[in-house]
Amino acid sequence: MKKIFLLIVIAISVAADARTTKVSLQASGLTCSMCSNAVYKALKTLDFVQEVEADIKTYTFEIFFKKDADIDFDKIRKQVEDAGFSVTSFVATILFDNVQVSSSKPVQIEDKTFLFVNTNDGVLNGVKNVRILDKGFVSQKEYKKNGLPVLSPRSYHATI
Amino acid sequence: MKQLLFITVLFLSAKSKGQELYAVTEPASNMAARSIGFRVDHLIMNEINSSKINYHLIPEIMVGVSKKLMIHGNVFFSNRRKQFSAEGGSLYGKYRFLSHDAVQKHFRMAVFGRISHNNSDIHQEEINVNGHNSGFEAGLVATQLLRKVALSSSLSILKAVDNGNDNKYPYGSENSKAVNYTFSFGKLILPQEYKDYRQTNINLMVELISQVNAGSGKYFMDVAPSVQMIFNSQSRIDIGYRYEINTTMLRTAPNGIFIRLEHNIFNAL
Repeated sequence: MKKIFLLIVIAISVAADARTTKVSLQASGLTCSMCSNAVYKALKTLDFVQEVEADIKTYTFEIFFKKDADIDFDKIRKQVEDAGFSVTSFVATILFDNVQVSSSKPVQIEDKTFLFVNTNDGVLNGVKNVRILDKGFVSQKEYKKNGLPVLSPRSYHATI
Repeated sequence: MKQLLFITVLFLSAKSKGQELYAVTEPASNMAARSIGFRVDHLIMNEINSSKINYHLIPEIMVGVSKKLMIHGNVFFSNRRKQFSAEGGSLYGKYRFLSHDAVQKHFRMAVFGRISHNNSDIHQEEINVNGHNSGFEAGLVATQLLRKVALSSSLSILKAVDNGNDNKYPYGSENSKAVNYTFSFGKLILPQEYKDYRQTNINLMVELISQVNAGSGKYFMDVAPSVQMIFNSQSRIDIGYRYEINTTMLRTAPNGIFIRLEHNIFNAL
C-alpha cells in the first residue's frame, strides 16, 4: 500500500515537474549607480529572494530564490517600479522535466499559468529561458506592438 | 555669456554618462518609494556692498511616499540676524505624472509645490520661498535622460506673502508674484564604466535659474555650475558656485558658494 502511494506521488510530481530557478530582469529608465542601487536594494527586501546579482553596466539583475519559496513575478516587477523605474525584459529560467507545451493550451507551472505564444508545440526538458510578455514585463513599446490581452493574476503570456 | 556657451558646448561634447541629481533644481524623477533622504544645504553668499557673508543652513528630510509622490520638509537657519538662528521652514511635494522609460533613457514630467513660512526681514525684490520669503510656489518640471546627458527644465509661479515677526512684504501685492524658469544640464564624468556600487561617481552640472516679477517685470538670471560626488551609490556631496549673470532686481547676496550633503536610506519605511 505504501509503495503504491509513493508511486502515485512520484507520478503526480513528475507530471507537473517544472520549477523556476532564477529570474533575470533588465531595468530601464536609469543610468546612475544610485538608481541601480535603489532597484537592487528593493529586490533584496522580497521575502522569497535569496540573492540578487546586479550588473550595473547592463542594468540587469539576476535574482535567485529561497528553496520552496512562493515566487511572485508581480511583486518583483512592482519593486522595480516603486524604485522609480521600469522592467524592460523579464526572463524566468525554468527547469522542465517532461512538460507538454502547446500554444493552444495554458500550462500550469508551480502556482502560475503560462500561455505560450510563438512557441513550438512539444515536450520540454531541461533548463529553458521563458520570457514574460505582459504589461510591465516588457517595454511600453513592445507591449503595444504585441497587443496581448490582460490576463488574470498569476497568469502570463510567455515565449521561449 | 560667451563663456557660458563655451562651457555648455564643452560639456555636451564630453564623453560620459548622464546624471540628473541636480544641485539647485529638482528633476521630474522621484526618489524610490519607501526611502528616506537626509540633506544639509550650506549657502555661503557674499553680501553686496559689504564684507559680510550670509550663511544659510538648511537641513532637510525627504520621503519617498510612493513611486509617484515624494515629500520634503526643511528648516531655515541663517546668520542674517545678529545671531545665527532658525528663521522658518517649508514643505515641498512632487508628483510624477508621466514616465516614458527605455534602456538608458527616460522622459518624465512632474508637478511640484512648496509652502513656506519665514520670520526673517524681507530685504530683496527676489522672491525665494526656500529660505527668504513666506509664500507658495507651484510648477511643472520635465526631464529627459538621454544615455549620457540629463536635461531638465522647470516653470513655476511664486507668490510671496508677509513674513512672520511682523515683517511685511514691502514691494506691494501687485509685485508679490513671480515666474521662475530653470534649465539644468548634468553629465556623469566618472567612472567611465560601472562595475561596482562602491565606485565614486563624479558629475558635472550647469544650471540656469531665472525669475521675472509678474508685476514690475524686473528679472534676474543666475548660472550655477557644480561638481557632485556620489559615494557608495548612497551619499553625495555637491559643491558649486552661484553667479548672477544679469539682474534688474534688488538682491542682497546673489553670488556665493553652495555645498550640499545628502545621504539616502533605501527601503527605510
